[in-house]
Amino acid sequence: MIVRDGGVRQPRTRAGIGLRAPHVAEMLERRPPVGWLEVHAENYMGGGPSVRALDAIRRDYDIAIHGVGLSLGSADGIDGSHLVRLHRLVERMEPTLVSEHLSWSVFEGAYLNHLLPLPLTEEALAITARNVDRVQETLGRRLLIENPSSYLRFAHSTIPEPIFIAELARRTGCGILCDVNNLYVSQANVGLEARRALELLPVDAVGEIHLAGHAVNDADGVRVLVDDHGAPVANAVWRLYVLALDRFGAVPTLIEWDTNLPALDVLLGEAAEAERLLERVERGAHVCAA
Amino acid sequence: MSALRDTQAAWRTALLGGEPAGALADLVAGGLPIDSRLAIYRHHVATSLSELLESVYPVVCRLVDRRFFGYAADAFISACPPAGPCLFEYGAGFPDFLVRLEPCRTLAWLPDVARLEWAMHRAWFADDATPLDPRLLAAIPADERADARVRLDPSVTLLTSPFAVDDIWRANQPGAPEILVSADAGPVHLEIRRHGDEVFVRRLHAPAWAFRSALRAGSTLAEAGERALALDESFDLAATFQALFGDDVLVAFTHLTRRETP
Repeated sequence: MIVRDGGVRQPRTRAGIGLRAPHVAEMLERRPPVGWLEVHAENYMGGGPSVRALDAIRRDYDIAIHGVGLSLGSADGIDGSHLVRLHRLVERMEPTLVSEHLSWSVFEGAYLNHLLPLPLTEEALAITARNVDRVQETLGRRLLIENPSSYLRFAHSTIPEPIFIAELARRTGCGILCDVNNLYVSQANVGLEARRALELLPVDAVGEIHLAGHAVNDADGVRVLVDDHGAPVANAVWRLYVLALDRFGAVPTLIEWDTNLPALDVLLGEAAEAERLLERVERGAHVCAA
Repeated sequence: MSALRDTQAAWRTALLGGEPAGALADLVAGGLPIDSRLAIYRHHVATSLSELLESVYPVVCRLVDRRFFGYAADAFISACPPAGPCLFEYGAGFPDFLVRLEPCRTLAWLPDVARLEWAMHRAWFADDATPLDPRLLAAIPADERADARVRLDPSVTLLTSPFAVDDIWRANQPGAPEILVSADAGPVHLEIRRHGDEVFVRRLHAPAWAFRSALRAGSTLAEAGERALALDESFDLAATFQALFGDDVLVAFTHLTRRETP
């Protein structure tokens, strides 16, 4: 059931999948049962057939909007014209959730196509909070902020990542998108303590969970996990997800896949597994981390 | 003075093929060397944007071979990084960049092939628009119709080239039969647009192309007609005008009545 709250549709606590262009025609034809769909905001800011297809799909599915280009950590503030485009998209699509990243990607008019890491400092926290405030004021709704996957650490970082995110949520009222795969990747690459992070993130703020696969690379004998969204969710990440559900409850969960995109049914199968775990939490059963 | 700003300035330099020392100075050592860690980000930025350009310009890539295309794409990305995160808008400047790229100087037709590919890409993402009802224009008094200005479908690009770039494009599609294309079989006057869910490229006669180009640039119907007649005295203005409606290419018009005209 969709509960309406202040004009914003609330997501059902179910598992969804990231909708990617190669799957759109099949989604329209088959209309498979899946809780909801998430799209990248920037892919739908133009016009034409892909936007029309999404309009057709959202008659049957709840849609969440996941931005990748706001650059919430930009020292110079966010690009007002891009925010206007996001606002228009949100008004048109009536998404259940709107999310972005704890990262930056824009500097002096150049968009560097990556979710780039922020030094975790008081200054970065103040700047990001100011930018999040501006977005939430413009959109008139809560934004969920996703924890990043990290490959390096800054020497002058002073705040542990989960505390930085918790404080951002406290100052701005934003929600948190807990990407469980990112926690696992960052644990392997830069020593973030994933289980401890789950304990430090405020339960009330977590409004969405992301799950995805990662690549395991060998760089000169050092193991590096790359968050390429190009494989099934790893067993260790499923186990961490179970812990996340124990703490946060049945939170809407998304299966993301971007690299080496497989058949739609593979994504639906992963979503069905998440759905099974979500149902156990909703029935009140303590999900055992096997 | 912002430490974050300094960090982001150093990263911008490092990620666009510049000196990485500034970005490396801030990083924690241990395990994988810091330059390898930074390289993960550099690699992603470079390859994702290069692959994007290849997807927009597949025929240019085929014509110059992939390795050279990769070199040209890297140079373009460093010189003209995306201005914003809507990446379907990225790459418009690539044809002009090819004009200035020294190794391409002998491939005079290459930038126009790129312009054709950009026009097709752009057409796909253009806004939908409703074709103009011909009865609306017919309602304007006949003697005032010449002063009307029209707006063409937003997906339309009017492109002219001294080279037969449409033939070159067709001959370089996957599975196209091996044919000899004479690059200097031009000039060609092309209209590229989306109709429904398909993008079309077609040749127009030079006067009809001039007529539509003038309308696109904001000329009145009379001014656009003069441009076409200057190329061909026998140009049939009425038929060409009717064809605009037949093609669903007009989406709006503006017209000042004589009474409103100062």
